[in-house]
Amino acid sequence: MQSRIGLAGYGHAPYEKRTTRTLFSLFAEAGSKALASAGLAFGDVDGLAVCSFELNPDNAVTTAEQFGISVSWAYLGTAGSAGPIASVISAVNAIRSGQATTVLCIAGDNYDVGGHFKLMDNFNRALRNYATPLGFGGANGLFGVIQRKHMETYGTRREDLGRIAVGQRRSAQMNPDALLRGPLTIEDYLNARMIADPIRLYDCVLPCAGCEAVVVTTLDRAPPGKRVEILSGFERHNHPPMEIAPLRGGWELFADRLFNQAGYGPKDMDCVQLYDDYPIMVAIQLEDLGFCKKGEVGAFLASHSFAFDGSLPLNTGGGQLSCGQAGIAGGLLSVTEAVRQLRGEGGDRQVKNARRGLVAGYGMVGYGHGLSASAIIVEAAQ
Amino acid sequence: MSEFSKAPHPQADADNAAFLDAWKEGRLIYQRARSGGRPFLYPRPICPYTGSRDLVWEEASGAGRVISFSLVMRPNHPAYHEDVPICLAEIELDEGPRLLARIVGEGRDAVTSGERVTIVPREEAGRYPLPTFVRTK
Repeated sequence: MQSRIGLAGYGHAPYEKRTTRTLFSLFAEAGSKALASAGLAFGDVDGLAVCSFELNPDNAVTTAEQFGISVSWAYLGTAGSAGPIASVISAVNAIRSGQATTVLCIAGDNYDVGGHFKLMDNFNRALRNYATPLGFGGANGLFGVIQRKHMETYGTRREDLGRIAVGQRRSAQMNPDALLRGPLTIEDYLNARMIADPIRLYDCVLPCAGCEAVVVTTLDRAPPGKRVEILSGFERHNHPPMEIAPLRGGWELFADRLFNQAGYGPKDMDCVQLYDDYPIMVAIQLEDLGFCKKGEVGAFLASHSFAFDGSLPLNTGGGQLSCGQAGIAGGLLSVTEAVRQLRGEGGDRQVKNARRGLVAGYGMVGYGHGLSASAIIVEAAQ
Repeated sequence: MSEFSKAPHPQADADNAAFLDAWKEGRLIYQRARSGGRPFLYPRPICPYTGSRDLVWEEASGAGRVISFSLVMRPNHPAYHEDVPICLAEIELDEGPRLLARIVGEGRDAVTSGERVTIVPREEAGRYPLPTFVRTK
């Protein structure tokens, strides 16, 4: 019988708008805390996965050198902020195939607002050569094109998208680690400063420094009462090819298999952690993952509330929209929050009776949109 | 563009030099596999539809239509600050390829999806590092 594999621990390095800390300092703090929460130590780690935009010239193996650990499996993320969830999926496969027994997955960056623009200007050759010289405004400009298309194609309204940002902020007010904890009303959202019409300020994340980490191992190594099993996981890259601003992201290709393999459907999810670089991408994930039909997310958003105590608990720590986007850590923030909730450690933002959840990632912005999609379904396995 | 020399420019390489050189003369060219297949942008060493590496360049009329757009108030580089709003558009050329491009000039803040656009006059092309459009009168 195959051993059951899951997330045995989680940890983070606190987010800061600017930091003098090194990237390895953030990695070390998040990694240590994740191992401590799993009841394990660095000596137990024999697999290491690292995702970071700012890691060059270092990599997963030189990170192992910094930590002083010898590993039989090493993984460097390649899929932007879809990468951390992809790294968890690959860690499961590495454990299943016997290449490792206990994998530490780390995602972190130490940049700020200015650093984010510099990163996007040189993110890849296509952007550097064919978008940066347009004064494209970084990701904001590109996702403005996508959001307008969704609004004009399906009638999606800003007052519906705003329910995502407002609901998540309510959860963030219960999360001492969130950088943005002030009250946010739908009027604040609708009337905020214009950034890249139709994108306004509260559609955007705050780039910051920080790190997230999780431990992937067989459930028998995880602390009793704190076990979270990974039931299924899939990724997809560059789908659909040759579209600049598609209204889907690739999740739709594996959503059925993701749920079937887990043995559950969208309605069985007690909490949902989606990649919230912009509310419009959360909306597209809800469609692609089958929470509603394509094009009907406006009505879906209008009929739900999204705080931790709402009808669909979404990004229950506040998400990147309220916590800040610590670069690629945004793709693992969702996983650490899911584990926290399923272990019943959500504190003031605990979702009642949270047994299982869906976590999705998105990223690697290419010529017009994020090229990579990923998702896992996780369940408390007590 | 007020500070053309300070603005970010594309890096010319063997795959895109013909495209960038043509635009210096105000011409917009795109690629296609010699054996047939849909035309495409941006420039690359392989046809993304057929896998062929035997590619030819063709010249576009310069006319197209707006698929979607955003009006960027916070550009990525200070060289563009005097140009806000930057109208960043997804444009479909009449010949089929789509590209990201700026729409410049008067009325760029009143663009609507679906409307016709055309590349800037040949004598103005040198002011922009990449193919750039105006609203069709």
